[in-house]
Amino acid sequence: MNRMNDKQENCRSTGFRAFGWLMQRVTGVGLLLLLGLHFWLQHMPNGFLATAEEYNALFRQFGASGGELADAVAGGTLKEALPGEHVITYSKVLERLQSPLWKMIDIALLLLALSHGMQGLGRVVGDYIQSVPVRKVAVALGWVAASLLAWQGIATIMAVGTN
Amino acid sequence: MRENSERPGQQGKRPSLRTFVFTALSYRKRAGMSAWLLHRFTGTALVLYLVAHIMGLRSLADPAAFEVYITTFRSPLFKIAEVMLLGSIAFHAFNGLRIMIQDMFYRSENQRRLFYGVFLLSVLVTLAGGLTLVFPYFIAPFLP
Repeated sequence: MNRMNDKQENCRSTGFRAFGWLMQRVTGVGLLLLLGLHFWLQHMPNGFLATAEEYNALFRQFGASGGELADAVAGGTLKEALPGEHVITYSKVLERLQSPLWKMIDIALLLLALSHGMQGLGRVVGDYIQSVPVRKVAVALGWVAASLLAWQGIATIMAVGTN
Repeated sequence: MRENSERPGQQGKRPSLRTFVFTALSYRKRAGMSAWLLHRFTGTALVLYLVAHIMGLRSLADPAAFEVYITTFRSPLFKIAEVMLLGSIAFHAFNGLRIMIQDMFYRSENQRRLFYGVFLLSVLVTLAGGLTLVFPYFIAPFLP
């Protein structure tokens, strides 16, 4: 019977699951620091975001640029900042990611978040899919998705400032 | 309170979302169960958000597309979603810390109080950060 409590299945995977348990703690602590930093810098008002005045100056430049951005301003897909609002802009991201250290920090955050999230999702999947073959397929798909997302994320981070 | 045998999860039914929901609802409402359920719920939501985040940031390849992408998330509705994101991260982080403390150092006699502490801390962080996030949208317009 292909059940989760099948003795053989349990024995075979104990060491691997224990390693996963430990890694979940390690990546968790890493995320506590890096995700905290990320949310503070990229979501809360500070120097890594444009102030309303800076953004609205940029907004007027976009409007006068005559390109794609001017169309976006005219079409309403770009809108002015409200008083006191802080907005993240391409130039601010470019400025930060000029530094290889920031690129490394962002890649570390990406990999920590992906491994922690996928490991957690694996535990959830393991709880609700009790058929071993189906679970193996789900776990394999998870690995494929995680690899593709890691590749996509690293490609995005590395490409900033190179074109 | 219902008997154990009445719980759908223990009647030999195949696991499904429906069975899960009914089982979760049939549990006694205790701090430990809320901690487990909230940790699982916020964790799953954060994984879904992570996937959307990574795929959305492909727009960084084109500066104009990135500015438009960011503007999408500057609507009042998305600002509320951002506060919920902060709340999920805060709870998951503090509760994860509580789990680590209990796993590695001691089995607390006061684990329920520790959970209430985690919940209170998450609410405080979400309120402080959330009010800052929504200030230009929902608070500043009403100030004299």
